[in-house]
Amino acid sequence: MASGASPSSSATRSDPHKDTTTSQAEKRAPGSKEVAAVIDSLKKKLAADRCISIKKRIDENKKNLRGVTQSFMRSCVERGGGSSYKDGSDLLVKMQRDSPGTKSGSDADKSNNHSSFLEDGNNVSSTSTAVQGSSVPVKISFRPIKMPDVKRLSPYTTWVFLDRNQRMTEDQSVVGRRRIYYDQTGGEALICSDSEEEAIDEEDEKRGFVEPEDFIIRMTLDQLGLSDSVLEELANFLSRNSSEIKARYEVLMKEKEVSESGDNQAASSLLNKDMDGALDSFDNLFCRRCLVFDCRLHGCSQDLIFPAEKPAPWTPPVDENLTCGANCYKTLLKSNRIPVNGTIEDKTGTSSNGAGTKTTSKFSGKLNRKKSKTFPSESASSNEKCTPETSDSENGVQQDTNPEKVSSSSKVKASGGRGGRKRNNNRVAERVSRRTQKRQKKSEASDTDSIATGSRSASDVKLKDNEDATSSSQKHVKSGSSKNSRKNDTPVEDSKNSVKSDDPVSQLNAVASEPCSDGSLRKDEFVGENVCPGGLSEDKSWKPLEKSLFQKGVEIFGMNSCMIARNLLCGLKSCWEVFQYMTCSENKASFFGCDALNPDGSSKFDINGNMTNNQVRRRSRFLRRRGKVRRLKYTWKSAAYHSIRKKSTDKKDQPCRQFNPCNCKTACGKECTCLLNGTCCEKYCGCPKSCKNRFRGCHCAKSQCRSRQCPCFAADRECDPDVCRNCWVIGGDGTLGVPSQRGDNYECRNMKLLLKQQQRVLLGISDVSGWGAFLKNSVSKHEYLGEYTGELISHKEADKRGKIYDRENSSFLFNLNDQFVLDAYRKGDKLKFANHSPEPNCYAKVIMVAGDHRVGIFAKERILAGEELFYDYRYEPDRAPAWARKPEASGSKKDENVTPSVGRPKKVA
Amino acid sequence: MPKITLGTESIVGSLTPSNQKSYKLTNKIRDGETPVYSLVFNFLDSRFFSVFVSACGNRINVYNCLEDGGIAPLQSYADEDKEESFYTVSWACGVKGNPFVVAGGEKGIIRVIDVGNEKIHKSLVGHGNSVNEIRTNVTKPQLVLSASKDESVRLWNVETGICILIFAGTGGHRNKVMSVDFQPNDEHRFISCGMDKTIKIWSMKEFWTYVEDSFTWKDDDPSKFPTKFVQFPVHTASVHTNFVDCNRWFGDFILSKSVENEILLWEPIVKENSPGEGTSEVILRYPIPNCNIWFIKFSCDFFLNYLSIGNQEGKIYVWDLKSFPPVLVTVLSHEQSNSVIRQTAMSTDGTTILAACEDGTIRRWDAIAEEKADTVEAQRPPLLHQYSRRKGKAKQK
Repeated sequence: MASGASPSSSATRSDPHKDTTTSQAEKRAPGSKEVAAVIDSLKKKLAADRCISIKKRIDENKKNLRGVTQSFMRSCVERGGGSSYKDGSDLLVKMQRDSPGTKSGSDADKSNNHSSFLEDGNNVSSTSTAVQGSSVPVKISFRPIKMPDVKRLSPYTTWVFLDRNQRMTEDQSVVGRRRIYYDQTGGEALICSDSEEEAIDEEDEKRGFVEPEDFIIRMTLDQLGLSDSVLEELANFLSRNSSEIKARYEVLMKEKEVSESGDNQAASSLLNKDMDGALDSFDNLFCRRCLVFDCRLHGCSQDLIFPAEKPAPWTPPVDENLTCGANCYKTLLKSNRIPVNGTIEDKTGTSSNGAGTKTTSKFSGKLNRKKSKTFPSESASSNEKCTPETSDSENGVQQDTNPEKVSSSSKVKASGGRGGRKRNNNRVAERVSRRTQKRQKKSEASDTDSIATGSRSASDVKLKDNEDATSSSQKHVKSGSSKNSRKNDTPVEDSKNSVKSDDPVSQLNAVASEPCSDGSLRKDEFVGENVCPGGLSEDKSWKPLEKSLFQKGVEIFGMNSCMIARNLLCGLKSCWEVFQYMTCSENKASFFGCDALNPDGSSKFDINGNMTNNQVRRRSRFLRRRGKVRRLKYTWKSAAYHSIRKKSTDKKDQPCRQFNPCNCKTACGKECTCLLNGTCCEKYCGCPKSCKNRFRGCHCAKSQCRSRQCPCFAADRECDPDVCRNCWVIGGDGTLGVPSQRGDNYECRNMKLLLKQQQRVLLGISDVSGWGAFLKNSVSKHEYLGEYTGELISHKEADKRGKIYDRENSSFLFNLNDQFVLDAYRKGDKLKFANHSPEPNCYAKVIMVAGDHRVGIFAKERILAGEELFYDYRYEPDRAPAWARKPEASGSKKDENVTPSVGRPKKVA
Repeated sequence: MPKITLGTESIVGSLTPSNQKSYKLTNKIRDGETPVYSLVFNFLDSRFFSVFVSACGNRINVYNCLEDGGIAPLQSYADEDKEESFYTVSWACGVKGNPFVVAGGEKGIIRVIDVGNEKIHKSLVGHGNSVNEIRTNVTKPQLVLSASKDESVRLWNVETGICILIFAGTGGHRNKVMSVDFQPNDEHRFISCGMDKTIKIWSMKEFWTYVEDSFTWKDDDPSKFPTKFVQFPVHTASVHTNFVDCNRWFGDFILSKSVENEILLWEPIVKENSPGEGTSEVILRYPIPNCNIWFIKFSCDFFLNYLSIGNQEGKIYVWDLKSFPPVLVTVLSHEQSNSVIRQTAMSTDGTTILAACEDGTIRRWDAIAEEKADTVEAQRPPLLHQYSRRKGKAKQK
């Protein structure tokens, strides 16, 4: 529609100026009649514009069309002329030439004259009738040329091969509200996309208001002025409410201003965006279970499960003398002779002094040499948290500024202390951060003025600055920024900064001068004298994306600037710069990480958000442990055991239950989703490995997990090398440094679905009916043949589809578990063509493989090469079609023979 | 909230004929005892502009339209299998420019007939169910598309007999595909529509190398060709609320017919970078009374000036596609013409209209020279409401 309406709107876009001025001059309240008249005239104008635009488009199309058809005509003529010369033997040409002799019409005899057409009684004869004058058909008969019979294929619906199950397609088309850009070659989603947030907002608006509506709103309000009665009329006319229209009008005016002022904000570089967008699409698109992007099995926007036990940051073997390049901090540190490290320790030491040292001593033992540098800051912050009552003004400031600042610096971290929990569950960043901000605003009201400004959101701060700031603070702002404009990344300044930081207030200041640029203004205000130029400058030179990358780097590599610079900030920052930033942000962390108690040492030094995340998680565990944990231990064990056994014994009459990883941070308690759902916890759950609800895998060795003695096998699960103790496969030939195979050769035989060790299945015309699946090579009893793949659909969906399939007498539905049904109708593999037989040579079994239920087809007996495969579809008793209930009667054939039944015939394993 | 259609209204054509042009019934031939489902003029080779081919039961018949109103049979082909019932035919060309007829039907086997040599060139096997329409690429007339009941569209190279691409799967049709058409000014794109009520625009751009490979494929066995699945269309339009059984490109616009008594002219607005997010805007509506059973197909003349479509009462509506607002040129009716017209065929210049009737006949209408027009038209209106008996939704496939 855009193109259709655009001519009209663009034509009138310039008009409003005139109208606004006149209407503003008059300032009257128009009556409803008048409004209606205006709207009506606008409507007519729109309709007329529409006609004109359509006409224009049709004319344009006509023009294009003429060119195209004429070129086609040329090629036709060429084709005709060209080939008649080189190929004079064209029979059709000859016949055509001769055809005037056979022409029908009033001359009824001519067909008989024509020798080439003979009567053939066996074939339907053609008759030609001249209608003119009489309606009696005149017969022309000739012998048709026979087309030899070609056997038709058995009917099927075009299907797409699937080597693994997929969730129903609607899910995959909707990727949140986010637009995905596909890599043309790989089919993988690119995680970088242009500023999506804005684009989405705009689109939402557009969806609400189509352009013609905008036009009417703008024109009417421009002409008649903004008044309630006009709004009401408009609202009536457009069947919306008036506030909506008012809001829209404001948006439109703003848009106009923007378009007039030109596109200034356009073309902001990639680096100015923070990592949030990228991370967000990573979270949404990357499947943590399958380790692929855009997983079709588990879908997009899965709940994010963060493991309770975080792996320690990876530390490469440290060689003190090894530098990572010319800009390595080690080299530069030596050459500059600046005791940066020392000052840091000084400073952090002092800060911890101020806040008490109980916890410090407790944890210091765990920390290794490397951590000792960072540790004091953590403890400092933890102290603050532990002793909130003692919080003086400084403390208050910290707590208030922290979440706010975090949210402005990067949304990923936005959760801050209070929003942390939610954030952790699901990175729906904006909402949470906004909520936190709001809450903060409320709380700040009771605080002192300076604190209040500190905690305000970035834009507010600016305004406030202008109003409230004293002249002195203004000056400081200026001086700070001017220094900033200079090249001031020098280590000298840095050290200066750290020296100053003995004074708690100055530290506070340093804190405030952290990432967000607005923050620097803010802290200038409340601690006027102590401006931290170093922090400020850093602020500017580090783009948001770089900061986020740095933070991720700390998570991964710890405080190793060499590794961070090389792996994450390659080409952006040198090792030295990273090091500087790191030391500076350590300062800040000593204040900002007020919640950052991090006893596990799981991540030695998380900045802000990460720390708080950990903290929240830890704290909740702490509480629980104090309370119920002991009691729970017993109950859970038995419960878990019970559920496992239930699955292995009762499964015949009860469908398996779909597993969804729980997000428990501690050993799973009553609220654990897995427990509630009756499934075991798997390796994908957030709960620690010690969770009593976890399936423990097997310890089989020589039995190769092939019998029910293997707990995995007995529970209808495949072994998992991550979980089972002795299950392994021979990998590689040893050339890659992997230890060559164990001598015993007791390879686990219960991982065939996982490893796709399937038999070659051929598709052919069934001996029974329709299509059939055949085996290429002979197999022995209980051998795994292949997987029955398909679309995973809900039972509700399956009921709907089943009705359709019943009509076509062809169903490929397979009950998988309590949540899903497999449908191989459009997507599947060749095993979907295996027919039903009451005396089958195969059986189907639902098996849990790495948290997913899958259907394996196994040989029930020894099957020879080339034999057709059959298995018992095990129709649900009440839904089995007549022939399936009495198998002797109809022999074997599946759905094709099914008389439409009331329910839907479904296969069950 | 009611949908606001401000500024996006479509314009409906008036059913009052302008009679700027008129036709008279000049001939009628019996094509067979079973319904004629398809007939089409040769638009590929200027030598054969007067030649048309029809599909009737298991027979494919080739005729010549004579200038004096006669119809001369040229060739006839019969499938040995009596169960075959051809639903669609199309013209194509071999690489040497020799004329081919491509036909498909009930059995799902596509027959490529070399009519220049009166022999079967290829039989294309692959569709899992009946073939509802076959269309040929005008610029590369070796490429044909087939729409099938098996919910797929296949692209074939009739010269080599290769199935190049299959359009089905995740984003594909969810029910029988009824109609396909190559985009005339973009050889990579085509549309398909079907009983899932949608019209889909597909692009072959990414797979064009396979199309090129199909011409040079040397292996004797065309089934060894690496046929690719195309699962995602560029655009899916839901401009109709019922089965869509015929669609044609009209420049950058699309003409499509559903069983709702009208043909729509609409513009697909496709977003190049984000497939699936486009919109469709209906521009014009051409009402066709008594045309709500499926498998009634319309056709246009070579230059897309006129569109003709039969209805279930045996009348033919001729619309002027170049005029705005839409003008109904004329309604063709005759007291003896009262069976469903499944498809029409217009000659290159639009002066001859053929109608494929369910009663197994082919009727020929010829344009009357301008001066006679008034008198003939005057007699016509009384015939209009004579045949009002309605047949139910009759379709047997």
